Amino acid sequence: MKLRGLPLALITAAFAAPVGAHHSFAVHFLADRLITVRGTVDDFTFRNPHGVLMLTAKADDGKEQQWKIETNSPNILRRRGWTEISIKSGDVVAVEGYPARDGSNFMRVYRVKYADGRELVGQRPDPSVVSGDD
Amino acid sequence: MRPLTQGLRSVVVAVVLTAFAAASHAQPDLEGFWTPRLEQTQARSGQALIDELPDAAVLVNDTGAGELAAGDFAGLKLTPAAIEETRNYDFADELTRENTCNAPTAAFFMQAPFPMEVYQSDELVVFKMEYFDLVRVVHLDGRPHPPATAPHSRAGHSIGHWEGDTLVVDTTHLTPGTFMNNGFNHSDGLVMKERFRASADGTTLWLVQTYEDPSVFDGLAARYMAWTRRPGEYVYPYDCDPSYGE
Repeated sequence: MKLRGLPLALITAAFAAPVGAHHSFAVHFLADRLITVRGTVDDFTFRNPHGVLMLTAKADDGKEQQWKIETNSPNILRRRGWTEISIKSGDVVAVEGYPARDGSNFMRVYRVKYADGRELVGQRPDPSVVSGDD
Repeated sequence: MRPLTQGLRSVVVAVVLTAFAAASHAQPDLEGFWTPRLEQTQARSGQALIDELPDAAVLVNDTGAGELAAGDFAGLKLTPAAIEETRNYDFADELTRENTCNAPTAAFFMQAPFPMEVYQSDELVVFKMEYFDLVRVVHLDGRPHPPATAPHSRAGHSIGHWEGDTLVVDTTHLTPGTFMNNGFNHSDGLVMKERFRASADGTTLWLVQTYEDPSVFDGLAARYMAWTRRPGEYVYPYDCDPSYGE
């Protein structure tokens, strides 16, 4: 028996299937890099296969940017205490997560941080991954 | 030979029935809630099951929390048609409303990082998966697979039997679906064989799956997975919402 194939990422996530099916994390996101986006929540949905946080952030030039930020499976997050109202429209947050491989304003959540120190943890990174600001 | 007395005959019948009943319930108890154990970068608790694989089997190391990158097919040799299909695969299609809730087949969904409930009788083993609310039925009553022309499905048609402490399952009639989550798909001709075994203390369940799909890849591929029993817990509804897609 031969052991083949290196796991690209060690992640507690909801992966799903292609054949024109629900997407892979490894194919769409960089597991070895973290960025942080700060802004105001426009909308939050918490349904499988992924929760989605729509966020308006301000770029360095002052222009507004719209971000689509997905969580791992709500089922996994419910067991960690997340609910449909864990994040609300109007919340001002800093979201740390894994950037899209194609450079678009799309990312997967590692954690959502509030000014008062509250933190919601989604998909934890491998210990070797270093955080960075967007 | 002198005929048995009525009393002795009753004793013999009782002993035989008791022995039969004991044998029929001697299988390990797999019932309950099982949550995946992530064992990719640590010692595999079910290594003994892996060691029973044929030498030629290629163990694909993408179960649970791991995935293979685009173009990494674990060293399997794909057929020319399958290579072409992977080249033409458009990952953007995965993010569409139409495809968001397309569930994988049993050749992929067992390894997903979600829990399951198992129900068991002498004639059936049923797997209720949290992932996409999928359900598998394994028939232990000796029936054969249906004809090749019978409908295929994501769970396929599974027949099984016990070999000592190991549940051996053979699955056919799977629809084409994800084989690795990177554009590598299996055909409707994939045959999957599984060996399930619980630890002696009943707290851990191991599974090794092997796959043959000669129209897609050469040889034998395999996956290993493990679960921990958590009494009193249950699977949550998945209720996939296609509105995630764009």
